[in-house]
Amino acid sequence: MGLNRVVVTGAGAVTPYGRGVAGMMAGLAAGKSCVVRMEGWENQGGLKSLVAAPAPLSGEKAIPRQKRRSMSRVSIFAVQAAEDAMADAGLKAGDIPSDRIGCIIGSTLGSASAISEFYETFIPVRDISVIPSMLFFKSMAHTAAMNVAQYLDLKGYVMATCAACASGLQAIGTGYDLLKLGVQDALLCGGSEELHPSVTGIFDLLFATSTRYNDSPQKTPRPFDADRDGIVCGEGAGIVVLETLDHARSRGARILAEVAGYNTGGSGDHVSQSNRESVTRCMRKTMEDAGVGKGELDYVSAHATATVQGDQAEAEAICDVAGDAVPVSGLKGHIGHTLGASGAIELIATIGMMRSGTIIPGLNLEKVAPECAVINHVRKPLSRELKVVMKNCFAFGGVDAALILKKA
Amino acid sequence: MDEKEIIRLTDSIFEESFEIEPGKLKPEARIFEDLGLDSLDIVELVVGLQKKFGVRIKETEKLREIRTLGDVHRFMLEEKARLEKGDASS
Repeated sequence: MGLNRVVVTGAGAVTPYGRGVAGMMAGLAAGKSCVVRMEGWENQGGLKSLVAAPAPLSGEKAIPRQKRRSMSRVSIFAVQAAEDAMADAGLKAGDIPSDRIGCIIGSTLGSASAISEFYETFIPVRDISVIPSMLFFKSMAHTAAMNVAQYLDLKGYVMATCAACASGLQAIGTGYDLLKLGVQDALLCGGSEELHPSVTGIFDLLFATSTRYNDSPQKTPRPFDADRDGIVCGEGAGIVVLETLDHARSRGARILAEVAGYNTGGSGDHVSQSNRESVTRCMRKTMEDAGVGKGELDYVSAHATATVQGDQAEAEAICDVAGDAVPVSGLKGHIGHTLGASGAIELIATIGMMRSGTIIPGLNLEKVAPECAVINHVRKPLSRELKVVMKNCFAFGGVDAALILKKA
Repeated sequence: MDEKEIIRLTDSIFEESFEIEPGKLKPEARIFEDLGLDSLDIVELVVGLQKKFGVRIKETEKLREIRTLGDVHRFMLEEKARLEKGDASS
Protein backbone atom coordinates (compact mmCIF):
# COMPACT_ATOMS: atom_id res chain seq x y z
CA MET A 1 0.00 0.00 0.00
CA GLY A 2 1.38 3.38 -0.95
CA LEU A 3 1.46 6.41 1.29
CA ASN A 4 -1.10 9.17 0.88
CA ARG A 5 -0.18 12.56 -0.47
CA VAL A 6 -1.09 15.36 1.95
CA VAL A 7 -2.40 18.82 1.10
CA VAL A 8 -3.33 22.05 2.85
CA THR A 9 -6.92 23.05 2.12
CA GLY A 10 -7.55 25.79 4.64
CA ALA A 11 -5.81 28.24 6.94
CA GLY A 12 -6.79 30.47 9.83
CA ALA A 13 -4.74 32.81 11.97
CA VAL A 14 -4.97 35.20 14.86
CA THR A 15 -1.84 37.32 14.94
CA PRO A 16 -0.68 40.64 16.33
CA TYR A 17 -2.40 42.13 13.25
CA GLY A 18 -5.73 40.71 14.48
CA ARG A 19 -7.92 37.85 13.40
CA GLY A 20 -7.69 36.71 9.80
CA VAL A 21 -5.12 35.61 7.25
CA ALA A 22 -5.93 38.43 4.80
CA GLY A 23 -5.25 41.11 7.42
CA MET A 24 -1.99 39.42 8.35
CA MET A 25 -0.84 39.28 4.73
CA ALA A 26 -1.74 42.96 4.26
CA GLY A 27 0.17 43.95 7.40
CA LEU A 28 3.21 41.92 6.42
CA ALA A 29 3.20 43.30 2.88
CA ALA A 30 2.92 46.84 4.25
CA GLY A 31 5.94 46.26 6.46
CA LYS A 32 3.96 47.18 9.58
CA SER A 33 5.57 46.39 12.92
CA CYS A 34 3.31 45.07 15.69
CA VAL A 35 5.90 45.47 18.42
CA VAL A 36 5.04 47.81 21.28
CA ARG A 37 6.41 48.69 24.69
CA MET A 38 4.35 46.71 27.20
CA GLU A 39 2.62 48.81 29.80
CA GLY A 40 3.43 47.63 33.32
CA TRP A 41 6.27 45.33 32.37
CA GLU A 42 8.70 47.83 33.89
CA ASN A 43 7.26 46.71 37.24
CA GLN A 44 8.29 43.09 36.68
CA GLY A 45 11.42 42.85 38.79
CA GLY A 46 14.53 41.99 36.83
CA LEU A 47 12.84 42.02 33.42
CA LYS A 48 15.08 43.79 30.94
CA SER A 49 13.07 43.35 27.72
CA LEU A 50 9.93 45.48 27.90
CA VAL A 51 8.70 44.98 24.33
CA ALA A 52 6.34 42.45 22.76
CA ALA A 53 3.85 41.94 19.94
CA PRO A 54 0.43 41.38 21.54
CA ALA A 55 -2.52 40.07 19.55
CA PRO A 56 -5.90 41.70 20.12
CA LEU A 57 -8.40 39.39 21.79
CA SER A 58 -11.87 39.99 20.39
CA GLY A 59 -15.07 38.17 19.57
CA GLU A 60 -14.54 35.58 22.28
CA LYS A 61 -18.08 36.01 23.59
CA ALA A 62 -19.27 34.33 20.38
CA ILE A 63 -17.98 31.10 21.94
CA PRO A 64 -20.70 29.71 24.23
CA ARG A 65 -19.83 30.12 27.91
CA GLN A 66 -19.66 26.43 28.74
CA LYS A 67 -17.18 25.92 25.90
CA ARG A 68 -15.29 29.12 26.72
CA ARG A 69 -14.96 28.52 30.47
CA SER A 70 -12.02 26.16 29.94
CA MET A 71 -10.21 28.55 27.58
CA SER A 72 -7.53 31.09 28.33
CA ARG A 73 -6.05 33.33 25.63
CA VAL A 74 -4.00 30.53 24.10
CA SER A 75 -7.11 28.43 23.51
CA ILE A 76 -9.34 31.27 22.34
CA PHE A 77 -6.74 32.17 19.71
CA ALA A 78 -6.56 28.53 18.65
CA VAL A 79 -10.33 28.07 18.49
CA GLN A 80 -10.78 31.21 16.41
CA ALA A 81 -7.99 30.24 14.03
CA ALA A 82 -9.35 26.69 13.76
CA GLU A 83 -12.87 27.90 13.08
CA ASP A 84 -11.56 30.18 10.33
CA ALA A 85 -9.40 27.39 8.88
CA MET A 86 -12.43 25.09 8.66
CA ALA A 87 -14.44 27.81 6.91
CA ASP A 88 -11.52 28.53 4.57
CA ALA A 89 -11.39 24.83 3.69
CA GLY A 90 -15.13 24.83 3.01
CA LEU A 91 -15.70 22.36 5.81
CA LYS A 92 -18.54 22.32 8.28
CA ALA A 93 -18.92 20.15 11.36
CA GLY A 94 -20.28 16.83 10.19
CA ASP A 95 -18.83 16.97 6.67
CA ILE A 96 -16.22 14.41 7.71
CA PRO A 97 -17.10 11.53 10.07
CA SER A 98 -16.06 12.96 13.41
CA ASP A 99 -13.63 10.13 14.23
CA ARG A 100 -11.79 10.70 10.91
CA ILE A 101 -10.91 14.32 11.71
CA GLY A 102 -8.89 15.49 14.70
CA CYS A 103 -6.44 18.16 15.73
CA ILE A 104 -2.80 18.50 16.67
CA ILE A 105 -2.01 21.85 18.22
CA GLY A 106 1.17 22.81 19.98
CA SER A 107 2.21 25.50 22.40
CA THR A 108 5.21 26.13 24.59
CA LEU A 109 3.59 25.30 27.93
CA GLY A 110 -0.18 25.65 27.64
CA SER A 111 -1.31 28.86 29.27
CA ALA A 112 1.31 30.84 31.17
CA SER A 113 -1.35 33.20 32.52
CA ALA A 114 -3.46 30.34 33.93
CA ILE A 115 -0.42 28.63 35.45
CA SER A 116 0.57 31.93 37.03
CA GLU A 117 -2.98 32.49 38.35
CA PHE A 118 -3.00 29.03 39.91
CA TYR A 119 0.13 29.61 41.96
CA GLU A 120 -0.63 33.25 42.77
CA THR A 121 -3.99 32.09 44.19
CA PHE A 122 -2.77 28.97 45.94
CA ILE A 123 0.58 29.90 47.48
CA PRO A 124 -0.53 32.76 49.77
CA VAL A 125 -3.18 30.58 51.45
CA ARG A 126 -1.96 27.03 50.74
CA ASP A 127 -5.63 26.04 50.34
CA ILE A 128 -6.70 24.13 47.26
CA SER A 129 -10.39 24.97 47.77
CA VAL A 130 -9.78 28.51 46.52
CA ILE A 131 -8.83 27.26 43.05
CA PRO A 132 -11.51 27.59 40.36
CA SER A 133 -12.21 24.20 38.80
CA MET A 134 -11.54 25.45 35.29
CA LEU A 135 -8.05 26.71 35.98
CA PHE A 136 -6.46 23.35 35.31
CA PHE A 137 -8.27 22.97 31.99
CA LYS A 138 -7.15 26.48 31.04
CA SER A 139 -3.52 25.82 31.90
CA MET A 140 -2.60 22.29 30.84
CA ALA A 141 -0.12 21.61 28.07
CA HIS A 142 -2.79 20.36 25.64
CA THR A 143 -5.35 23.02 26.50
CA ALA A 144 -5.45 24.48 22.97
CA ALA A 145 -5.88 21.08 21.30
CA MET A 146 -8.45 19.93 23.84
CA ASN A 147 -10.50 23.11 23.52
CA VAL A 148 -10.46 23.07 19.72
CA ALA A 149 -11.56 19.42 19.71
CA GLN A 150 -14.34 20.13 22.19
CA TYR A 151 -15.51 23.23 20.35
CA LEU A 152 -15.53 21.68 16.89
CA ASP A 153 -16.63 18.21 18.05
CA LEU A 154 -13.56 16.48 16.64
CA LYS A 155 -13.40 12.86 17.70
CA GLY A 156 -10.28 11.76 15.88
CA TYR A 157 -6.71 12.30 17.10
CA VAL A 158 -6.40 15.04 19.73
CA MET A 159 -2.75 15.74 20.41
CA ALA A 160 -0.45 18.53 21.55
CA THR A 161 3.09 18.85 20.38
CA CYS A 162 5.19 20.53 23.02
CA ALA A 163 8.63 21.56 21.82
CA ALA A 164 8.76 25.28 22.54
CA CYS A 165 9.32 27.27 19.35
CA ALA A 166 9.07 24.19 17.13
CA SER A 167 5.67 23.14 18.53
CA GLY A 168 3.52 24.54 15.72
CA LEU A 169 5.62 23.17 12.89
CA GLN A 170 5.94 19.83 14.66
CA ALA A 171 2.14 19.71 14.87
CA ILE A 172 1.83 20.22 11.11
CA GLY A 173 4.63 17.74 10.44
CA THR A 174 3.05 15.15 12.71
CA GLY A 175 -0.28 15.66 10.97
CA TYR A 176 1.45 15.12 7.63
CA ASP A 177 2.99 11.87 8.90
CA LEU A 178 -0.35 10.57 10.22
CA LEU A 179 -2.27 11.48 7.07
CA LYS A 180 0.37 9.82 4.90
CA LEU A 181 -0.40 6.64 6.84
CA GLY A 182 -4.12 7.10 6.34
CA VAL A 183 -5.18 6.90 9.98
CA GLN A 184 -7.20 10.10 9.57
CA ASP A 185 -8.84 11.85 6.61
CA ALA A 186 -8.20 15.38 7.86
CA LEU A 187 -6.46 17.12 10.73
CA LEU A 188 -6.45 20.67 12.03
CA CYS A 189 -2.81 21.33 12.81
CA GLY A 190 -0.83 24.27 14.10
CA GLY A 191 0.24 26.17 17.14
CA SER A 192 -0.96 28.75 19.60
CA GLU A 193 0.73 30.96 22.14
CA GLU A 194 -0.08 33.70 24.62
CA LEU A 195 2.15 36.48 25.86
CA HIS A 196 3.13 36.61 29.50
CA PRO A 197 5.98 38.46 31.18
CA SER A 198 7.15 35.18 32.71
CA VAL A 199 7.69 33.74 29.22
CA THR A 200 9.63 36.76 28.01
CA GLY A 201 11.39 36.55 31.36
CA ILE A 202 12.73 33.07 30.65
CA PHE A 203 14.38 34.30 27.44
CA ASP A 204 15.54 37.37 29.36
CA LEU A 205 17.29 35.22 31.96
CA LEU A 206 19.18 33.48 29.17
CA PHE A 207 20.25 36.79 27.60
CA ALA A 208 18.21 35.92 24.51
CA THR A 209 15.78 38.88 24.48
CA SER A 210 16.04 42.24 22.81
CA THR A 211 16.79 44.85 25.46
CA ARG A 212 18.23 47.84 23.59
CA TYR A 213 15.04 48.98 21.87
CA ASN A 214 12.61 49.43 24.78
CA ASP A 215 12.17 53.07 23.75
CA SER A 216 11.95 52.34 20.01
CA PRO A 217 10.02 49.05 19.93
CA GLN A 218 9.33 49.04 16.20
CA LYS A 219 13.07 48.81 15.55
CA THR A 220 13.19 45.32 17.04
CA PRO A 221 13.55 42.37 16.56
CA ARG A 222 16.07 42.62 13.72
CA PRO A 223 16.53 39.22 12.07
CA PHE A 224 19.93 38.88 10.34
CA ASP A 225 20.71 42.57 10.97
CA ALA A 226 24.07 43.75 12.25
CA ASP A 227 22.36 45.50 15.17
CA ARG A 228 20.12 42.62 16.23
CA ASP A 229 20.03 41.98 19.95
CA GLY A 230 17.57 39.20 20.53
CA ILE A 231 14.02 37.88 20.64
CA VAL A 232 10.79 39.83 21.04
CA CYS A 233 7.88 37.61 22.06
CA GLY A 234 4.57 37.69 20.24
CA GLU A 235 1.32 35.77 20.51
CA GLY A 236 -1.47 34.33 18.40
CA ALA A 237 -2.38 31.12 16.63
CA GLY A 238 -2.05 29.57 13.21
CA ILE A 239 -4.05 26.53 12.16
CA VAL A 240 -4.12 24.72 8.82
CA VAL A 241 -6.49 22.06 7.57
CA LEU A 242 -4.48 19.13 6.29
CA GLU A 243 -6.18 16.43 4.23
CA THR A 244 -5.13 13.49 2.21
CA LEU A 245 -5.05 14.48 -1.45
CA ASP A 246 -7.63 11.80 -2.24
CA HIS A 247 -10.01 13.11 0.39
CA ALA A 248 -9.58 16.71 -0.74
CA ARG A 249 -10.19 15.73 -4.35
CA SER A 250 -13.22 13.63 -3.46
CA ARG A 251 -14.97 16.67 -2.03
CA GLY A 252 -13.72 19.06 -4.69
CA ALA A 253 -11.72 21.11 -2.21
CA ARG A 254 -9.47 23.99 -3.24
CA ILE A 255 -5.88 23.00 -2.58
CA LEU A 256 -3.56 25.70 -1.21
CA ALA A 257 -0.33 23.68 -1.27
CA GLU A 258 1.02 20.17 -0.89
CA VAL A 259 3.09 19.16 2.12
CA ALA A 260 6.01 17.46 0.42
CA GLY A 261 8.56 16.87 3.16
CA TYR A 262 9.16 17.11 6.88
CA ASN A 263 11.77 16.31 9.46
CA THR A 264 12.32 16.96 13.12
CA GLY A 265 15.25 15.99 15.28
CA GLY A 266 17.38 16.86 18.24
CA SER A 267 20.85 18.33 18.37
CA GLY A 268 22.06 16.38 21.40
CA ASP A 269 24.39 19.28 21.90
CA HIS A 270 23.06 22.23 23.88
CA VAL A 271 19.73 23.12 25.48
CA SER A 272 19.56 26.71 24.30
CA GLN A 273 22.01 27.28 21.46
CA SER A 274 21.32 26.38 17.83
CA ASN A 275 23.73 23.92 16.35
CA ARG A 276 24.70 24.44 12.72
CA GLU A 277 25.28 20.74 12.00
CA SER A 278 21.99 19.74 13.59
CA VAL A 279 20.02 22.42 11.73
CA THR A 280 21.76 21.40 8.50
CA ARG A 281 20.88 17.75 9.06
CA CYS A 282 17.22 18.59 9.70
CA MET A 283 16.88 20.70 6.55
CA ARG A 284 18.75 18.12 4.46
CA LYS A 285 16.51 15.29 5.63
CA THR A 286 13.44 17.40 4.91
CA MET A 287 14.68 18.01 1.37
CA GLU A 288 15.35 14.29 0.95
CA ASP A 289 11.82 13.52 2.16
CA ALA A 290 10.44 15.96 -0.41
CA GLY A 291 12.78 14.78 -3.17
CA VAL A 292 14.12 18.31 -3.51
CA GLY A 293 17.71 18.99 -4.57
CA LYS A 294 20.04 21.80 -3.53
CA GLY A 295 19.07 24.24 -6.26
CA GLU A 296 15.36 23.51 -6.28
CA LEU A 297 14.09 25.60 -3.38
CA ASP A 298 12.44 28.87 -4.42
CA TYR A 299 12.25 30.37 -0.93
CA VAL A 300 13.22 29.65 2.66
CA SER A 301 11.11 31.14 5.45
CA ALA A 302 13.75 31.35 8.13
CA HIS A 303 13.28 30.82 11.84
CA ALA A 304 15.47 33.93 12.35
CA THR A 305 14.63 35.02 15.88
CA ALA A 306 17.23 37.79 15.77
CA THR A 307 19.52 36.27 18.36
CA VAL A 308 23.19 36.83 17.64
CA GLN A 309 24.16 33.17 17.59
CA GLY A 310 20.97 31.62 16.23
CA ASP A 311 20.70 33.75 13.09
CA GLN A 312 24.31 33.07 12.19
CA ALA A 313 23.92 29.30 12.64
CA GLU A 314 20.78 29.28 10.52
CA ALA A 315 22.28 31.42 7.74
CA GLU A 316 25.31 29.12 7.54
CA ALA A 317 23.12 26.02 7.56
CA ILE A 318 20.83 27.35 4.82
CA CYS A 319 23.91 28.11 2.73
CA ASP A 320 25.18 24.58 3.34
CA VAL A 321 22.04 22.80 2.22
CA ALA A 322 20.35 25.19 -0.19
CA GLY A 323 23.18 27.37 -1.46
CA ASP A 324 23.68 31.12 -1.48
CA ALA A 325 21.15 31.96 -4.17
CA VAL A 326 17.83 30.89 -2.67
CA PRO A 327 15.83 33.89 -1.39
CA VAL A 328 15.48 33.95 2.40
CA SER A 329 13.44 36.09 4.75
CA GLY A 330 12.05 35.90 8.27
CA LEU A 331 8.89 37.52 9.59
CA LYS A 332 9.63 38.06 13.26
CA GLY A 333 10.57 41.69 12.68
CA HIS A 334 6.86 42.23 11.90
CA ILE A 335 5.06 40.08 14.46
CA GLY A 336 7.70 39.09 16.99
CA HIS A 337 8.41 35.52 17.89
CA THR A 338 5.08 33.83 18.42
CA LEU A 339 6.97 30.83 19.86
CA GLY A 340 4.85 27.68 19.65
CA ALA A 341 2.61 29.35 17.07
CA SER A 342 5.41 30.75 14.93
CA GLY A 343 5.94 27.73 12.69
CA ALA A 344 2.26 27.60 11.82
CA ILE A 345 1.66 31.35 11.46
CA GLU A 346 4.77 31.82 9.33
CA LEU A 347 3.93 28.77 7.21
CA ILE A 348 0.49 30.26 6.54
CA ALA A 349 2.18 33.54 5.58
CA THR A 350 4.43 31.54 3.26
CA ILE A 351 1.38 29.97 1.62
CA GLY A 352 0.10 33.52 1.15
CA MET A 353 3.35 34.41 -0.60
CA MET A 354 3.08 31.32 -2.82
CA ARG A 355 -0.39 32.38 -3.86
CA SER A 356 0.50 36.03 -4.48
CA GLY A 357 3.84 35.23 -6.10
CA THR A 358 5.61 37.82 -3.97
CA ILE A 359 8.21 37.20 -1.27
CA ILE A 360 7.85 39.57 1.67
CA PRO A 361 11.15 40.88 3.01
CA GLY A 362 11.97 40.82 6.71
CA LEU A 363 11.49 43.99 8.72
CA ASN A 364 14.36 45.87 10.37
CA LEU A 365 16.97 44.30 8.12
CA GLU A 366 18.83 47.52 7.44
CA LYS A 367 22.41 46.27 7.37
CA VAL A 368 22.98 42.54 6.93
CA ALA A 369 25.35 41.26 9.60
CA PRO A 370 28.62 40.07 8.02
CA GLU A 371 28.31 36.68 9.72
CA CYS A 372 24.83 36.26 8.18
CA ALA A 373 25.78 37.49 4.71
CA VAL A 374 26.34 34.01 3.28
CA ILE A 375 22.75 33.75 1.98
CA ASN A 376 20.49 35.72 -0.34
CA HIS A 377 18.49 38.02 1.93
CA VAL A 378 15.30 39.42 0.40
CA ARG A 379 15.54 43.18 1.02
CA LYS A 380 12.46 44.37 -0.89
CA PRO A 381 9.29 42.64 -2.17
CA LEU A 382 10.38 40.08 -4.74
CA SER A 383 8.07 38.74 -7.45
CA ARG A 384 8.73 35.10 -8.10
CA GLU A 385 6.79 31.93 -8.75
CA LEU A 386 7.20 29.88 -5.59
CA LYS A 387 6.92 26.21 -6.50
CA VAL A 388 8.94 24.76 -3.62
CA VAL A 389 9.40 26.47 -0.25
CA MET A 390 10.85 25.47 3.10
CA LYS A 391 9.91 26.64 6.60
CA ASN A 392 12.38 26.31 9.48
CA CYS A 393 11.81 26.24 13.23
CA PHE A 394 14.39 25.70 15.96
CA ALA A 395 13.56 25.36 19.62
CA PHE A 396 15.01 25.32 23.08
CA GLY A 397 16.07 21.83 23.96
CA GLY A 398 17.98 21.52 20.70
CA VAL A 399 14.83 20.60 18.77
CA ASP A 400 14.85 21.35 15.05
CA ALA A 401 12.02 21.10 12.54
CA ALA A 402 11.67 21.90 8.86
CA LEU A 403 8.84 21.43 6.39
CA ILE A 404 8.59 21.77 2.63
CA LEU A 405 5.52 22.84 0.69
CA LYS A 406 5.03 22.49 -3.04
CA LYS A 407 2.67 24.55 -5.10
CA ALA A 408 -0.51 22.61 -5.78
CA MET B 1 -25.28 42.12 55.86
CA ASP B 2 -29.05 41.77 55.44
CA GLU B 3 -31.02 39.21 53.47
CA LYS B 4 -31.42 41.50 50.48
CA GLU B 5 -27.67 42.06 50.25
CA ILE B 6 -26.95 38.34 50.53
CA ILE B 7 -29.36 37.65 47.65
CA ARG B 8 -27.86 40.48 45.59
CA LEU B 9 -24.31 39.23 46.08
CA THR B 10 -25.31 35.65 45.29
CA ASP B 11 -27.09 36.69 42.11
CA SER B 12 -24.12 38.76 41.04
CA ILE B 13 -22.06 35.56 40.81
CA PHE B 14 -24.59 34.10 38.41
CA GLU B 15 -24.38 37.24 36.31
CA GLU B 16 -20.59 37.60 36.35
CA SER B 17 -19.37 34.01 36.32
CA PHE B 18 -22.17 32.31 34.41
CA GLU B 19 -23.23 35.25 32.23
CA ILE B 20 -26.91 34.84 33.04
CA GLU B 21 -29.20 37.78 32.34
CA PRO B 22 -30.55 39.36 35.54
CA GLY B 23 -34.13 38.83 34.33
CA LYS B 24 -33.67 35.06 34.54
CA LEU B 25 -32.45 35.14 38.13
CA LYS B 26 -35.66 34.21 39.90
CA PRO B 27 -35.68 32.16 43.13
CA GLU B 28 -37.68 29.38 41.47
CA ALA B 29 -35.21 29.06 38.55
CA ARG B 30 -33.66 25.59 38.53
CA ILE B 31 -29.91 25.99 38.37
CA PHE B 32 -29.25 23.08 36.02
CA GLU B 33 -32.32 23.01 33.80
CA ASP B 34 -33.24 26.69 33.66
CA LEU B 35 -29.91 28.44 34.20
CA GLY B 36 -27.75 25.96 32.29
CA LEU B 37 -25.15 25.19 34.95
CA ASP B 38 -23.48 21.80 35.27
CA SER B 39 -21.47 20.01 37.94
CA LEU B 40 -18.23 21.84 37.05
CA ASP B 41 -20.05 25.14 37.44
CA ILE B 42 -21.00 24.19 40.99
CA VAL B 43 -17.30 24.15 41.90
CA GLU B 44 -17.02 27.65 40.41
CA LEU B 45 -20.11 28.65 42.37
CA VAL B 46 -18.53 27.57 45.65
CA VAL B 47 -15.29 29.40 44.85
CA GLY B 48 -17.32 32.45 43.84
CA LEU B 49 -19.44 32.41 47.01
CA GLN B 50 -16.35 32.06 49.20
CA LYS B 51 -14.71 35.01 47.47
CA LYS B 52 -17.81 37.24 47.44
CA PHE B 53 -18.70 36.64 51.08
CA GLY B 54 -15.18 36.19 52.41
CA VAL B 55 -16.07 32.85 53.99
CA ARG B 56 -14.94 29.24 53.85
CA ILE B 57 -17.77 26.93 52.87
CA LYS B 58 -17.36 23.56 54.52
CA GLU B 59 -20.95 22.35 54.29
CA THR B 60 -20.44 21.00 50.80
CA GLU B 61 -22.78 18.06 51.49
CA LYS B 62 -25.66 20.51 51.77
CA LEU B 63 -24.76 21.89 48.35
CA ARG B 64 -25.67 18.56 46.79
CA GLU B 65 -29.28 19.20 47.71
CA ILE B 66 -29.43 22.55 45.94
CA ARG B 67 -31.86 22.61 43.02
CA THR B 68 -32.98 26.21 42.57
CA LEU B 69 -31.50 29.67 42.88
CA GLY B 70 -33.70 30.11 45.94
CA ASP B 71 -31.93 27.08 47.49
CA VAL B 72 -28.58 28.86 46.96
CA HIS B 73 -29.97 31.99 48.63
CA ARG B 74 -31.19 29.91 51.61
CA PHE B 75 -27.87 28.09 51.81
CA MET B 76 -25.94 31.36 52.00
CA LEU B 77 -28.38 32.89 54.49
CA GLU B 78 -27.85 29.87 56.76
CA GLU B 79 -24.07 29.95 56.25
CA LYS B 80 -23.89 33.64 57.12
CA ALA B 81 -26.15 33.20 60.15
CA ARG B 82 -24.07 30.29 61.36
CA LEU B 83 -20.80 32.16 60.89
CA GLU B 84 -22.14 35.30 62.53
CA LYS B 85 -23.15 33.19 65.57
CA GLY B 86 -19.52 32.18 65.74
CA ASP B 87 -20.27 28.53 65.09
CA ALA B 88 -16.82 27.15 64.46
CA SER B 89 -17.83 23.52 64.85
CA SER B 90 -18.21 22.75 61.16
